[in-house]
Amino acid sequence: MASNATHYNNLTPAEPLDKKTLNQMVWRSLNLQASFNYERMQAAGWLYAILPGLKKIHGDNKEDLSLSMQHNLEFFNTHPFLVTFVMGIVLSLEQKKADINTIRAVRVAAMGPLGGIGDAIFWFTLVPITAGITANMAIGGSIAGPILFLLIFNLVQFAIRFFLMHWSYNLGTRAIDLLTANAREFTRAASMLGVFIVGALTSNYGGTTISLTIANGESPIVIQDILDGVLPKMIPLALTLMLYFLMKKKGWTPVKCIALLLVIGIAGGLVGIF
Amino acid sequence: MSFSAIQIFLVFVVAFIVAIDQYNLLESLYQPIVTGAVIGAILGDLRTGLIVGGTYQLMTIGNMPVGGAQPPNAVIGGIMATVFAISSGLDATAAVGLAVPFALVGQYLITLLFTVMSPLMGVADKMAEHADTAGIARLNYLAMAALGALFGIVCVAGLIGGSALGDTLRAAAEQYSGIMNGLSAAGGMMRFVGFATLLRIMLSNELWGIYFAGFTLATVIGYIPEIAGSTLILVAFVGIAIALYDFQTRTALKAAGAGANHDGGEEDGI
Repeated sequence: MASNATHYNNLTPAEPLDKKTLNQMVWRSLNLQASFNYERMQAAGWLYAILPGLKKIHGDNKEDLSLSMQHNLEFFNTHPFLVTFVMGIVLSLEQKKADINTIRAVRVAAMGPLGGIGDAIFWFTLVPITAGITANMAIGGSIAGPILFLLIFNLVQFAIRFFLMHWSYNLGTRAIDLLTANAREFTRAASMLGVFIVGALTSNYGGTTISLTIANGESPIVIQDILDGVLPKMIPLALTLMLYFLMKKKGWTPVKCIALLLVIGIAGGLVGIF
Repeated sequence: MSFSAIQIFLVFVVAFIVAIDQYNLLESLYQPIVTGAVIGAILGDLRTGLIVGGTYQLMTIGNMPVGGAQPPNAVIGGIMATVFAISSGLDATAAVGLAVPFALVGQYLITLLFTVMSPLMGVADKMAEHADTAGIARLNYLAMAALGALFGIVCVAGLIGGSALGDTLRAAAEQYSGIMNGLSAAGGMMRFVGFATLLRIMLSNELWGIYFAGFTLATVIGYIPEIAGSTLILVAFVGIAIALYDFQTRTALKAAGAGANHDGGEEDGI
C-alpha cells in the first residue's frame, strides 16, 4: 500500500545525475514491461528502470528511497518506446526533492498522452512502412528483408529513447527552478491535470462490457445497449468508483480488490455475463 | 519429418527469447519477418522461412498491439507457421491457418500470466517498503523468464506434436471458453484497481468534477471513430489548458494579494 507521506525527509537537492547513469537507465527502460500485469501494468518495470537514478538520489537516506520506491510502484502505463521522456522529467523532480504529490501528478499527466503519440509514430507509421517493404523482400527470398527491418526499426527506437531521456531530464531541471517559486499552485495544477487524465483513462482503457441478452422473440434485448443508452462506459466508471470507495473508506488492499474482481469475472464468465 | 534434439533445443531458445522480446528487449526480434527467417535457418530451409515470415508479417500489419489490445499471438503464430510450412511442405497461407490454435493458446497464456502477476504487486509493495532494490529487479527478471518458458514449451510441443495437437488444443479451448472469458474479463477489470489507487491519493474533494470531466471528454471522443485513436492526446490538450489556466489564475491572485498587502490574505491561514 502506498505511503501517505507528502515529502521526503532529506529536502536538500541531490547531485545532478551524470550522463552514465542516465544512459544506464535508457538500457533498463527496454524492460519496462517485464512484469506487466493487469492491475498496475508497467509499474514494477518502471520502478526497475529508474532504480539506478533513485539509488543515486536517495542513496543517503534509506527511508526516502523506500518512500520514492513506494509511490513509483503505483499504476503506470505509457508507450514503451517513449517512456524515457517520463523518466527524465520524473528523475529531475526526484533529484530536486519535489513534493511527492507533485512528482506523482507530473508522472500521471505525462504518461497518458504518450501512448497515442507512440502508437502513431511506431505502429501506424514506422512498422507498416518498413515491414511492408522488407516483408516483400523476404517473400522474394532475400535475407536482407529481416536484417533491414531490424536495423531501421532499432536505429529509430534507440535514437528516440536516448534523445528523450537527456532532453527531458535537462528540461525538467531547468523548469523546476521556475516552478518552486509557486510550488503549491504548481502541485495543484499538476494534480488537476493528473485527475483529468485518470478520468480519461477510466473511459479510454475501460473495455468491460457484458454480453447478456434477454430473449424477446425477433428482437432480443441487449443489456449493454440499454446501459450505453443511460451512460456510455458506465461499467468502467462504476467499477472504478466502487474500488475507490472500498479502498478509501473500507481500507481494502489492492490484492483484496483483485480477488474480488477474479471472483466476479470467473463467476460471470461461467454464467455467460461476459 | 522429424527434428534433431539440437533443433528442438534451438527452437525453444528462440521462442524463449522472442516471447520476452514481444514486450521487452528490442521489441522487434519477435516480428514474424525475423522469426520466420531464424526458425527456417534452424530447420534447414531458410528460403521457406523467409517466405512464410514475410507472408505472416503482411497479415499482421493491420493487427498491431495498439493500446494494449491482445490479438491472437503473432509470436507463436509466426514460429509455428514456419514449422508447419517446412515440416509438411504446405504453402505459406495454409501453414498460417494451422498455426492459429497455437497463437490462441499463446494469447491465453499471456492473459493468465498478466492476471497472476497482479497480486504479486503486493509482494513488490513490501519490497519497496524495505527499499529492497535487488528484490524489484529479481521480480522483473523472474516474470520475463516465466513468459519465455511458457512460450518455449508451447512451441516445442507444437514442433513435436504437430498440427494434430493444434486441433486438440482448439477443442480444449472451446470447452473451457467460459472460464477463459471470465478470466479475460477479470483481467480487463483489474486496471480499475490501479486507477482507484491513484485516485485514493490524488483526488481531493474539490477535484471530483475534474475527474468526471476527463471521463466525459474521453468517452465523447472515443465514440467518434475518425479521431478515437487520438483520444488521449486531445484530452491532454484540454487538460493542460485547464491546469495552466488554474495555475496562472492562482499565481496572479497570490501576486495581487502580496502586492495589496492586506490582512487575512490566502497565505496567512497556512
